[in-house]
Amino acid sequence: MKLLQGKKVQEMSRRENKHDLLLKEIWAKVRKKHFFPELPDPAISESIDRVALEIKSKRIILSQSFIEDAARHLPIEKVIEALLDHGVAHYTYCPWDFHTHLTLYQKAKKVLKDKDKAQKSTEYFMDVVADTHCFKEKDTPISHLYRHMERGIMDEAIHALYQKIWGVDLNVQGYEEIARKLSRIPYLDRKPWPESIRRFSNIIQGLIESEEKSGTLNQPSPMGQNDLGRYSLEEMDQGLKEFAMATGDPSTFKEVVNDFEDELKDAGYDTNNTMGLGSGSPLDADALFYMKLAENYSLPIKKVPIEKSGSLYPMSHSPWELGKPFRDIDPWTSFGKVMPGITQIWERTEGEVFGEREGIPNCIVVIDSSGSMTNPRQRLSHAVLGAACASDAYLRNDATVAVYNFSDAKHGGSQILDYTRHRKKIYQALCHYYGGGTRLDIEDIESLQDPSLPDMFIITDMQITNLEVLIGYLNGLENRVTAVHIGENERAWHFKRSTKLRKNISVYSVNKKEDVPKIVLGKIREYFGIAT
Amino acid sequence: MINPFEDFKEYPYEKKKIPLDRIVQAKEKVMEQIVEGYLKLVEEEVKDLVWLVEHSRLIKAYSSALRTIQKIDYDIDDIEELCLELDKGDRIPYLISGPAGIYLAALCNNAKEEKIQLRLHELKRAFHFLGYRLPEGKTLILKGNAGDFIGASLSGGKIIVEGSAGNWAGAGMIDGDLVITDNAGQNTGAWMSGGEIHIEGHIIGIGKIIHGGRIYHRGNLIRPYETTTR
Repeated sequence: MKLLQGKKVQEMSRRENKHDLLLKEIWAKVRKKHFFPELPDPAISESIDRVALEIKSKRIILSQSFIEDAARHLPIEKVIEALLDHGVAHYTYCPWDFHTHLTLYQKAKKVLKDKDKAQKSTEYFMDVVADTHCFKEKDTPISHLYRHMERGIMDEAIHALYQKIWGVDLNVQGYEEIARKLSRIPYLDRKPWPESIRRFSNIIQGLIESEEKSGTLNQPSPMGQNDLGRYSLEEMDQGLKEFAMATGDPSTFKEVVNDFEDELKDAGYDTNNTMGLGSGSPLDADALFYMKLAENYSLPIKKVPIEKSGSLYPMSHSPWELGKPFRDIDPWTSFGKVMPGITQIWERTEGEVFGEREGIPNCIVVIDSSGSMTNPRQRLSHAVLGAACASDAYLRNDATVAVYNFSDAKHGGSQILDYTRHRKKIYQALCHYYGGGTRLDIEDIESLQDPSLPDMFIITDMQITNLEVLIGYLNGLENRVTAVHIGENERAWHFKRSTKLRKNISVYSVNKKEDVPKIVLGKIREYFGIAT
Repeated sequence: MINPFEDFKEYPYEKKKIPLDRIVQAKEKVMEQIVEGYLKLVEEEVKDLVWLVEHSRLIKAYSSALRTIQKIDYDIDDIEELCLELDKGDRIPYLISGPAGIYLAALCNNAKEEKIQLRLHELKRAFHFLGYRLPEGKTLILKGNAGDFIGASLSGGKIIVEGSAGNWAGAGMIDGDLVITDNAGQNTGAWMSGGEIHIEGHIIGIGKIIHGGRIYHRGNLIRPYETTTR
């Protein structure tokens, strides 16, 4: 008995070695075929039994049992090559990156209104695109593999589609109407993918619903699930940043992020360094939206204010006239003569040197979240975006940020966050929306002042009840103040006029998100010589 | 010097021609013809981007649409795609609901298929005049809300609106069935002379002049009254 078991183990280990060698050989061929994608070496695992392959952190892991099953109909080399082609095409063509994956999912969800259904539709769409790309552009045995595959309802329909658009026989009967409708979608045209998946989802909606009824909706497709585990953390971060920029809508972003909250966490998305995604805190997704959106912008801060040195330096020439001092005569350009009209003197100008205040001071961000401002949770709030960009700019320069979020401050509608470098806390303070009246309390701002003269960033629509008090306060400050008004109105003009003479106050207007990058933080008009 | 691309040389790179290329290309061509037809209709019928609903203009626009589409070999998928194109507005610079609806109606009435299903759920705008003059033997299923004048001059066909209809639903219908699973707007069934309208939801108002036909609300006959004048 023991001898028999030993023989079995030996046989298994020999088979595994053979498979590994084969995999190595085929992987070299597949890499060359796909122009050497930067992927780690694939592996074969016995623990995957329900699907053909998995992709974890870019590593393709093939199922031993699937390969053995498929090898009954097809040479094992072909099976491995087809699976690798499929896996690599997902990396090199569709979805390509995390942003595309999220975009496709979001479009599918819009049609199907349900996470599981949308995920299923997205997976099949990505499979169709990747496989069709492979079939058209590469020499792949993928169609041979599909001919002998076990299929569910959806797989039958998708393989009927392959029959139609690839022009091969995959042993599928029926599904002509669905295949005809699906075949009109330009899968290999990348630009209209969002529209294509919308149409794709629309067409397969009935099939997905019948899968739901039969209880097979959550079963993975035979070729494996395209889950988020394949992406690296950097890719996720970058993808969320691009997705926030592309949607420009906090509610859409929030819906998708909330749908993938568990997957993001499982994939190890760092909740400390970037953003907390803890369950039961829906505001976090809003804050994450502004955080990722703000990462697309980089506001400049005037770092080294230049101060007048008080010393005069020769700057340019002018003709010498009688009565002007002799000491300024430049003998080199005066031909050695002292004659009015010929002799030239040096014009002196005050020199500039680097002052004591080098680097970036801390910043007090004052944000208006009254009823006249956009609710950042419902629509894109330019105020929150602007304040987020400003906060990021100071944090990037090793400064700390304090937040004063106000609505009707006299009646408890305000929030003070003391100086911190904790990005999550800052964003949560910025995203808080009171939606009440608009009255700020100067004492609150004053409590954040310190002798180091922190910069001040104030963003509001200027519909502040006690605007005069604010103007008076700002006019008396020595801090560098960057004031941003959202939209144009009479009170904004009044604010501009009233602070016109103050060189340390710069006023900007933001009407659309494209205006945000135009803001220059901590600008002192004196050294630009122009009025804002 | 070593050629850094030496490795790539060994793999013969040859793109296959697959049926998808042909299908997508053919579909694009048909769509271009359909869009061109719509733009031509708008150019002919709409002056100063205003289109007034008048009986004579309707007839003229419909005849013009019929003439335009005669040479096009389209199917129901093309009609559905035109709805999306009209809604998106990327390819079509302006959507005027009246002529667009008349054009869609002409396409539906002359489609090879007997059963036509249009998914309107996600469209931002509603098309008017869908199902205008739908002939006997044709069934038009509208999934989502429809605009005004749905099933106007219905001529024996069957229209099922899986959603709400706007005002003047079934106006002037001659024969056939109009089923609205949700609400109907004002003047429902005005000037109808035959056929049946079934409404499952709320009705804002029934047409003042009704020459014939029947209107049912949640299965109950509401027009004609027992003493109604014909």
